[in-house]
Amino acid sequence: MSSERILVVSPYPPIRDGIGSYAVQQVRALRRAGNHVEVCSPEPSAAHHHLDTRGPKGALALGRLARRFDRTILHFHPDFFYEIPATPTSRLTTGTALALALRTAGNVTIVLHEVDHRWAAPTDPSAKATRAVFRAAAEVAVHVPEHRRMMVEEFGVPAERVTLVDHGGDFVARVPDDRAEARRILGLPADGHVFLCIGFVQPHKGFDRAVAAFGDLGSAGASLYVVGSVRVDDPLTADHVAELERLAARTPGAHLRLSYVSDDRFDRWIVAADTVVLPYREIWSSSVAERARLYGRPVIASRVGGLADQLADAPGIQLVDDNVALALAMRRAVSGAASGSPADGSTERASAAWSFADGVDRESVQAEVRRRAGTGSASRAARRATSAAGTGSASSPLRRVPTLSLPPAASARPGVSTVKKLIRRVIGWELDPIREQVSRIQRATVESVDVLDARVDELEDP
Amino acid sequence: MAGERPRSPVAWPLVSDRRIALVPPRYGPDVIGGAEASFREVAAGLASRGWEVDVYTTCAIDHFTWANHYPAGDSHDGDVRVRRYPVVNDTSGADRALVDAMVARGEMPTLPEQERWMNDGLRSPELFHALIDESDRYRAVVVTPYLFWTSFAAAAVAPERTIVRPCLHDEPQARFELFSPMLEGSARLWLNTEPERDLLDSLFPGHAPGDVVGEGVTIPKEADPAGFRARHGLGERRFVLYAGRREGAKGWERLLDTFSATVRKGNLDLALVTIGVGDVHIPADVADSVFDLGRVDDRERDDAFAAASGYLQPSALESFSRTIMEAWLTGTLVIANAASEVVAWHCERSGAGLLYDDDNELEQCLRFLAEAPEAAATLAAPGRDYVLDNYTWEATLDRMEASLEQMP
Repeated sequence: MSSERILVVSPYPPIRDGIGSYAVQQVRALRRAGNHVEVCSPEPSAAHHHLDTRGPKGALALGRLARRFDRTILHFHPDFFYEIPATPTSRLTTGTALALALRTAGNVTIVLHEVDHRWAAPTDPSAKATRAVFRAAAEVAVHVPEHRRMMVEEFGVPAERVTLVDHGGDFVARVPDDRAEARRILGLPADGHVFLCIGFVQPHKGFDRAVAAFGDLGSAGASLYVVGSVRVDDPLTADHVAELERLAARTPGAHLRLSYVSDDRFDRWIVAADTVVLPYREIWSSSVAERARLYGRPVIASRVGGLADQLADAPGIQLVDDNVALALAMRRAVSGAASGSPADGSTERASAAWSFADGVDRESVQAEVRRRAGTGSASRAARRATSAAGTGSASSPLRRVPTLSLPPAASARPGVSTVKKLIRRVIGWELDPIREQVSRIQRATVESVDVLDARVDELEDP
Repeated sequence: MAGERPRSPVAWPLVSDRRIALVPPRYGPDVIGGAEASFREVAAGLASRGWEVDVYTTCAIDHFTWANHYPAGDSHDGDVRVRRYPVVNDTSGADRALVDAMVARGEMPTLPEQERWMNDGLRSPELFHALIDESDRYRAVVVTPYLFWTSFAAAAVAPERTIVRPCLHDEPQARFELFSPMLEGSARLWLNTEPERDLLDSLFPGHAPGDVVGEGVTIPKEADPAGFRARHGLGERRFVLYAGRREGAKGWERLLDTFSATVRKGNLDLALVTIGVGDVHIPADVADSVFDLGRVDDRERDDAFAAASGYLQPSALESFSRTIMEAWLTGTLVIANAASEVVAWHCERSGAGLLYDDDNELEQCLRFLAEAPEAAATLAAPGRDYVLDNYTWEATLDRMEASLEQMP
């Protein structure tokens, strides 16, 4: 076995980061194979080096460091290298510098976690520079076939340089528990179907969709746990968390556990679950899915990003296209009909959702009717749970109003972004308090309407 | 890091039932600090019971500068193998200062701010990677105390075999969400006292299984109080003792202020003797009543405890307080800050300590010592049995081994 000097570029522990957790397992495997491995992270961490890798300056500094190694493994996410938000101009300068850095660094493997394929569109003035970044690498490692196609066809990377790697290839199980033991340790009920949504709580993860889809399954003894922490402290995420709290409070059997989750506790939750739910609105690929696969837990996932490709060959996977299909899949999981559901990963569309694999009875059909309608004579709690994210809530129109956010200080025209940023900086002290106040008023109004709605319910049905 | 060479492929030894790794931020005979001294005793004690003990620590000796003092590499401390790794301290400190200022204002930093705070100070990437490589070889990896980067980072490496000895204090940082995975996700916790468990229960209700293992105190051989007095020119003068780190966080400065103020009021036939590290700024007008002896060896420390009329524990942030045990072992009364729940608990359980809530109460405690020495000695008497009944190393190591048996 030949020993190499390898540089791994990635976020890294003890900062909590999914890509960092991936990287540390990779580092462990590389070191155990006898290599000398050093790590460079964008911020101070347990890595040997840290440098701000963003922008042309960061790219060139990274190139200088990488030249000291036989090989560089670079975990690629645009946020690590490009300014936020990335304008065509900044993509052009950063991409050019990064491509140059990688080319001079020699043997570079890019492990692709995320990139917007529109950056390679012929109409994008920075496309050439973006393509050059990936073409500068000796290897681009992707996790799903769709990304392989994209790299080859849209980014122009020679096909022989794009390799499909198992996302969970370096993953190892961290807890020895069985389901009963994991539930005991986590303080979960021993019986009943447990659904789990786990990970950083962000709007694009769509955990609210899972709570709404869960609906009245609590009355069947099921429970749904949304477990994770909030990493991004912006108003949009704060609103999302508030919404999740409201939904969980109104949905019997739904529990929101907002806390920092250690790696082994993360695994313990997965072991404790009967079904892992990935109701993502957008995602590239999912480490949660890999860990669920590692422990043999069934997954219900929305068909977004590369999930369909990533999970294509995994057993026990159901992919859904919309909220109704998600609700039906969860209902089937509880009724034990999951084995009768499409096991080949085919889509459950809303139009097919009326078919009941487990036999049709009036109660289940009526329940589904109520779920879709968000109204009717279901129990008040279940009705509220369903309607809160659906169409029947009195506050729904208010909830649909997008949170006020300032337009991005970015422009495709050279120099305009800088001017916009300058203006933003100058007027920020006036605008930010107004924006925050509007968000607060919106939240308070929603809460007030819901309280009034509940009081009306009580008056109608004391 | 520079200087490391490419390694040859190695065969990884199987985990041993009797192999344990200890991870303190500092380690060595010259390191000042109760928790650090105790951990060294744990290492030696487990080694004497047949455990193969490896200590993973930094090259630092001083927790203010974290300068690399000891050479990196392996050495031995008796039967204990010590593996030292350099400290990297190359950040500006701005993130740490920002969070400290927020905490001082009573604000809770966000999780990202807490993360930046943790990484804006001492770090030891090589120590982290050594554990990445070798943690699987150990039955358990014990990290302590909770607040330090070494503990935080090491606990993330192999939580399923990590025991955290948090030495938790009731301080704002103990409420940081940052520490939740360490205290909730590790295999077990080693706690010093029941009040520490109560605090843990209130702050982290979902914490990992905790064992109150306590802490051991070495029983001193025959002490020589008269020799101590003679060596330091104290004659027959009665004195109170403070031993440990002389710094604000330990309550030292306020203690000195109050003692000085009491001396200035007159009629206090009592001196203050202090031993340990840290700068001592003695007011000129009380210079003949305060004696700074600096660092002393263990024998001299035991003699100092035996010669003192009372021992002062002004710290509000104690997770065990080894020094009050040392005082009681020599029959010396303890006078302690009631703000420390742990010390108050010890004083109440043993019956051998007085507590004060403010400067006036401390002044009266000092006057009691000065004016009623026989009563003070009587009060102190049960202290020794309290320590012998609860905190010998034999009993402590028994509890630790019982806890280790619970590890998977």
